[in-house]
Amino acid sequence: MNATNPLILLVAAIFTHNIALVYILGMCPFIVISRNFKTALGMGVAIIFVVTLTAIIIWPIYWLILVPAKAEIISYLIFIIVIAATVQLLEMLIEKFFPPLQSSFGIFLPLITVNCIVLAVCLFMVLRKYDFIQTVFYSLGTSAGWALAIIIMAAIKEKMMLISDVPKGLRGAGITMIIAGLLAFAFMGFAGMITLQ
Amino acid sequence: MKALKIILFVLVMGTVSSVMLVGVNSFTQPLIFKNEEVKLKSAVLGALEITYETGSALAIFNDKVRVLDAGKTEFFISRDGAAAFEFYGPGLWGPISGVASINPDLKSIKAIKIVSQEETPGLGGRIAEHGFLKQFRGKEFFPRLVFMPEGKSSAVNEVDAITGATGSSRALERLLNSVLQKNAGILKEQLNNR
Amino acid sequence: MSPKKTVKRSFRNAKWFKALIAGLWQDNPTFCMVLGLCSMLAITNRMDNAIAMGLGVTFCIVFSSLLVSLFRNVIPSRVRMLAYMVIIATFVICVDRFLKAYFPPISEELGPYVGLIITNCIIMGRAEAYAIKNGPLLSALDGLGCGIGYTFMLILMAFVRETIGFGTLLGYRVMPGSWVNWVVMTIAPGAFFLLGVYLWIFRTIAKKTEA
Repeated sequence: MNATNPLILLVAAIFTHNIALVYILGMCPFIVISRNFKTALGMGVAIIFVVTLTAIIIWPIYWLILVPAKAEIISYLIFIIVIAATVQLLEMLIEKFFPPLQSSFGIFLPLITVNCIVLAVCLFMVLRKYDFIQTVFYSLGTSAGWALAIIIMAAIKEKMMLISDVPKGLRGAGITMIIAGLLAFAFMGFAGMITLQ
Repeated sequence: MKALKIILFVLVMGTVSSVMLVGVNSFTQPLIFKNEEVKLKSAVLGALEITYETGSALAIFNDKVRVLDAGKTEFFISRDGAAAFEFYGPGLWGPISGVASINPDLKSIKAIKIVSQEETPGLGGRIAEHGFLKQFRGKEFFPRLVFMPEGKSSAVNEVDAITGATGSSRALERLLNSVLQKNAGILKEQLNNR
Repeated sequence: MSPKKTVKRSFRNAKWFKALIAGLWQDNPTFCMVLGLCSMLAITNRMDNAIAMGLGVTFCIVFSSLLVSLFRNVIPSRVRMLAYMVIIATFVICVDRFLKAYFPPISEELGPYVGLIITNCIIMGRAEAYAIKNGPLLSALDGLGCGIGYTFMLILMAFVRETIGFGTLLGYRVMPGSWVNWVVMTIAPGAFFLLGVYLWIFRTIAKKTEA
């Protein structure tokens, strides 16, 4: 069992163990969505919602149902089904009760199901044996960290479009990679700020 | 009707998958358990400096090591009185886990083995290398084990840290100090109670 | 219309060959469609991990595409995505267990990234774009082509990263003793930079051959 303070987990997940820049997860949408600041913001908010919600739902399912039943073999299966179901539900809820939100982040929801980080958060939570409170803070921090990374990327790229002359071969995915590399370097400067168990 | 068909389909698919996976599980589970057991016991044998050939780890372990259950911790005692135990704690980037063994005098180290760590490869990651760990042999941990800048260690309780990996070195220093003293204390109690 | 002449029945025109080759170059998942990046960047710092991951992904794509194609007329349209995920997840779990049982050191290094093959965009992408509309043999071959193309990419990345970052290749020392390891290549930033450079090279070549 882990004895790490949940608040420490939260801060570490955003900075020193940023899931996009240290663990390199959630890359596919990272490259595509970060073209535009507003879209990045929308995607970021949507991710925070979905990741935290699914982590909260999956923790009890894993520890209170699968483990006592010795059914860990089907855990990935269950996780992915719950994630898909949660996203569907969220989509339906937003359509029915919060139509204005639909345009700002509703359109990203289907994409999120395949975003590695939703599943990754569940896998890490299981691997590191976090308890419930730790899971909540960890999922919040991880998704916030990913959102932070994607928003910074979008801001940088938007500026670059205006003032830089990127070589033809590098345009699009190539330059995104280089920027991401520099960002990853920068985030390494946070190391030692926190010791994460 | 359509909804029913969908639900039926999902159920059937789910069941078929689960059945298939349970089958795979029964095949692989025993092997996986055995792998974990071998991993732990090999690390213990390594820490106790008992040689073994690949494949015979379990047999040699059962023959030459005695397990002492002290409630929360297990001690692995070799024939010459050295005691090994697992340790786990925070490193700089992630948890460090390993097996440490102490000499019968209960105040000096026999060997340290790092089983898993998430430090920077080539820098902090070198804490897991044999070249770094062999310096711990015979070092004392009372009053405490001190990590000195590389090349400067001299006293019997000083070891060299890794240049360029201050964070990882400090984390390891903290970790080793806490687990070595604590476990030596527990072991002393256990042996006195006999 | 082309003048009448006997068309050489070259196997190059055969549908199966085209399906296989497409995944390797034109439709190479990484370079053209920028998919499957998570594994590409995270685990390619060692060649053995890269090969294991590549083989694992190829196994999953081939069999998932095969199964999706076999059941393409049975899967209700509304639950397509869910069906793909269940099928893919099943095979991924098999790969994960297989590695844990027979190759524990590799399984430990890859860790949760094996489970993340489920969300690897390539597998789902192929299922949705190809397998759901084509026959089993073609789908399997398409999957194989994509898988091999992907593995090839992983190997390219790992080749540079392990050699420069660790001085070894598959564990064997290849750089001279005086080589100072470029540690950056073994961690996240190096991966990003290397992929950026590769993308640059490949895209420039592709544009030149297109023109």
